[in-house]
Amino acid sequence: MITWIVIGVVVAIVLFIVVGGYNRLVALDQRADQSFADIDVQLKQRQDLIPNLVETVKGYATHERGTLDAVTQARAAAAGAQNINDRVQAENMLTGALGRLFAVAEAYPDLKANTNFQQLQTELSDIENKLAAARRFFNNAVSEFNAVRRQFPTVLFAGLVGFDADKPFFDVGEADRAAMTAAPPTVNFQA
Amino acid sequence: MGAVGLQTHIWANNTRSILLLAGFPVLLVFILYGAQLVMMGFGLLPGTGRGLGDDMALAASWLGWTVPMALVVAAVWFAIAYVGNQAIIDSITGARKVERRTEPELYNLLENLAISRGLRTPTLRMIESDSLNAFATGLHEGRYSVTVTRGLVNTLTRDEVEAVLAHELTHVINKDVRTMVIASIFAGIISVLAELVFRALVHTGGGRGRSKNSNAGPLILIGLVFAAVGVALAVVIRMMLSRTREFVADAGAVELTKNPDAMISALRKIEGRSSLKGPDEVQQMFLDNQPDGRGLEGLFATHPPIEKRIEALVKFGGGQDPGPWVGPQPAGQDTSVPAAS
Repeated sequence: MITWIVIGVVVAIVLFIVVGGYNRLVALDQRADQSFADIDVQLKQRQDLIPNLVETVKGYATHERGTLDAVTQARAAAAGAQNINDRVQAENMLTGALGRLFAVAEAYPDLKANTNFQQLQTELSDIENKLAAARRFFNNAVSEFNAVRRQFPTVLFAGLVGFDADKPFFDVGEADRAAMTAAPPTVNFQA
Repeated sequence: MGAVGLQTHIWANNTRSILLLAGFPVLLVFILYGAQLVMMGFGLLPGTGRGLGDDMALAASWLGWTVPMALVVAAVWFAIAYVGNQAIIDSITGARKVERRTEPELYNLLENLAISRGLRTPTLRMIESDSLNAFATGLHEGRYSVTVTRGLVNTLTRDEVEAVLAHELTHVINKDVRTMVIASIFAGIISVLAELVFRALVHTGGGRGRSKNSNAGPLILIGLVFAAVGVALAVVIRMMLSRTREFVADAGAVELTKNPDAMISALRKIEGRSSLKGPDEVQQMFLDNQPDGRGLEGLFATHPPIEKRIEALVKFGGGQDPGPWVGPQPAGQDTSVPAAS
């Protein structure tokens, strides 16, 4: 009799831990996906602004075909990406291309004076800020999911219930990071 | 399971809150028992006329009907507080309702946050005061209200104001006002009971005749210990509960705004500039409320120290702490000091 009660209690405790742990994982997984959607909103908004930007720059900076094409191509690649990894890579390319475009624009005073261009520049930098915040939040959510997944006792059954791998972070591109470490961005005030 | 990020931090604090809330009924039983022992000791309640153990067992058996009675009193008390809460708060703090027309930017910030969570936008109120503070009130849908001071809106940046509004909105989402009203009602009943015990002590102990109970001394002593411990724990639990709700609201603000830095710099700005007067029920809902230098203040504070709150935001929210805020830069002053390079 006592043995059965002990066995019953142990089974109940194990069930409680497994169900609780599973629900925590589901909630954290869902939360990470949701915060990726927040990044997505910003990325979409950025993509929507780009045709307008390209048109505006074209009117002034006629010699910058290459830079403009890079932006257009990166946008197309980002919009057409099939999976997360391609998407992240394309969006990082787009960030880089946009950076170069704004750097090039410095050489065209008329362009810089254009109100449309100024407005687009403000909007894009606002989006970049929000993007950075959303990305940080996403990465935090991912690291929390990964940490809980690997914690004892969750680690014992996480694989069995379908959470068998860590979630990938939203990284700034490898190329970007290499470039930043090699040559930190310099700001020149002598216009 | 320890906290490793924002969500686990919230979970840990919510579990803590439930355990603390569950402590109140236990304390109520504790102090009722103490009160009965004291009353028996003074002969106000009949004893068994036998040993101390029998008297204590008899007192314990009364709990069967005194505890339900105390719970009924608590329910009635809660019903009254539920109706009166809003009116009391409105009349005392002098908060004025703010419309979209008069403060469009502030109103939109709050409305956007509410929409993102599918909530009806709470009423926005403003106190014309230079101190930096904010609080959430209201016990049910339709009566929720978020109040900020003029000083807060003037001093903080847009992102910081948004973080503060998100903190208050998290109090609303989590129904913290209700939790704290329940806590203060329990604490209130417990302190009323304790007062009865001490009154009885002064009244009867003043040398007016002997008690009929043969175990008077030990009964009164044990009862007093129960009562004293109960009262002290009730206050401590209420304050601990309030502090866990603040941690959750800070974390919730980051969930809503995705911006731990804004919450941290907002806390840095209100640090030491938050003094605002209000009744206890309101003060515990303030954005920040620091006791003015009493002993043991950590135990009896409604809010964790700003340092602790920032530490949690840095650790679990991934924020950066800019350090104490030095105040607004005086306008027009020549800042000829070269920046450290």
